[in-house]
Amino acid sequence: MRNLLNFLLKYNNLIVFLILEGIALYWLTAGNSYHNSRMVKATQAVTRGMEERISNVRSYLNLREINSDLASENNALLNRLERFTRQEDLKVITEKDTLLRQQYQYTSARVINNSVNKQKNFFTINKGSLQGIKVDMAVTTGKEVAGVIVGCSDNFSIAISLLNLDFRLSARIKSNGYFGSLSWDGRNYRHAVLNEIPQHINVSIGDTIETTGYSAIFPEGMLIGTVSDLKKSGSDFYKITIELFTDFKKLQHVNIIGNMRRTEQLKLENQLQ
Amino acid sequence: MINSVLRYGAIILILILFQVLVLNHIQFSGYVNPYVYIMIVLLLPSLTPAWLVLVTSFLAGLIIDLFSGSPGMHASATLLAGFSRPFILRLISPSDGYESGSDLSMAAYGVRWFFIYTVLIVLIHHTALFFLEVFRFADFFRTILRILLSSFFTIGFILLIEFYRKRR
Repeated sequence: MRNLLNFLLKYNNLIVFLILEGIALYWLTAGNSYHNSRMVKATQAVTRGMEERISNVRSYLNLREINSDLASENNALLNRLERFTRQEDLKVITEKDTLLRQQYQYTSARVINNSVNKQKNFFTINKGSLQGIKVDMAVTTGKEVAGVIVGCSDNFSIAISLLNLDFRLSARIKSNGYFGSLSWDGRNYRHAVLNEIPQHINVSIGDTIETTGYSAIFPEGMLIGTVSDLKKSGSDFYKITIELFTDFKKLQHVNIIGNMRRTEQLKLENQLQ
Repeated sequence: MINSVLRYGAIILILILFQVLVLNHIQFSGYVNPYVYIMIVLLLPSLTPAWLVLVTSFLAGLIIDLFSGSPGMHASATLLAGFSRPFILRLISPSDGYESGSDLSMAAYGVRWFFIYTVLIVLIHHTALFFLEVFRFADFFRTILRILLSSFFTIGFILLIEFYRKRR
């Protein structure tokens, strides 16, 4: 017993260190990429309120740019609406309930916390489950891919950014339709990597890359970026570097896209597996 | 005693706010993230018992973690720096030892001593931090590059602050 006490006294600092380090490392490894969603709830009272205030000031400073963005987007939407209604006039619609035809629902939100300089980047938006945001909804800026929601509290949500080593997205080359897996290699916040495109396919620099919609998260045809560099390595696949359309450093106003038929699709797919 | 507790409390608060409100928002090229809050560990007086250094560094790391949304990363790296602090102090102790209760500042022990002290602690902290962040040994040399670049800026910031404090 005395030996034990002597031992504890002699190494008490080491023991304190090991216990605290144990707690920290447990915290680090216990959650996977979803740990952030749990943290929102714990910290939003203090840190989120403060972050929202900082972000308010920032968004005020950027109003001019946002205004012009909104105006151009508005024009594009008006044009689309015009075309859409014309088209509708020519068709005979038998379906009375228009809601049944809607597959995607759109919500807009503001980014209140964001980073591009870590290896695993997340960003926080100012809408949560009370505003209809759910986990696994897609986050875009206009028509360009930004991330996927991984956790929601009542009024805030956290999204995994495309700039995260754990982010995977099914993407295809627009011109020929071949698809591969998109990920980020952690090097440059302007570039991502497209894998699994076999070498017998014609790919050229400048080709547009878009989403496939296979994952039932992103709608088909959302823009990702253009091919900026491609290498033939020893394996059978290209190593394609993509310059992203979205500039994550000025990510501010985003759209959240929910797929209303996602559960149906996943249920069917699970039946077959 | 109470006085110095208050003073260090204020230093810790200022450093944490500076880190969270200013430095965390500097997103410079993806390779450079200065983490100046490690000064909290550097500046604790020489008489501070080792367990108190450990607890302080753990809590400081924890608060930074809460604000940057990284679970346990800063806490464990800062804790490691706090743990290695007594060993480093013994390793580089000046010839006439440390005055009891003195500040571990540039004003008290000179530029050269403080520079070595800062470099050692910052390198330990940043190495732990950046490897915990990627959590893999692939791209080993790129992580090393990030550690060196960020350390360079952190050390620069800390020396600037210390020069300013010394001047006053």
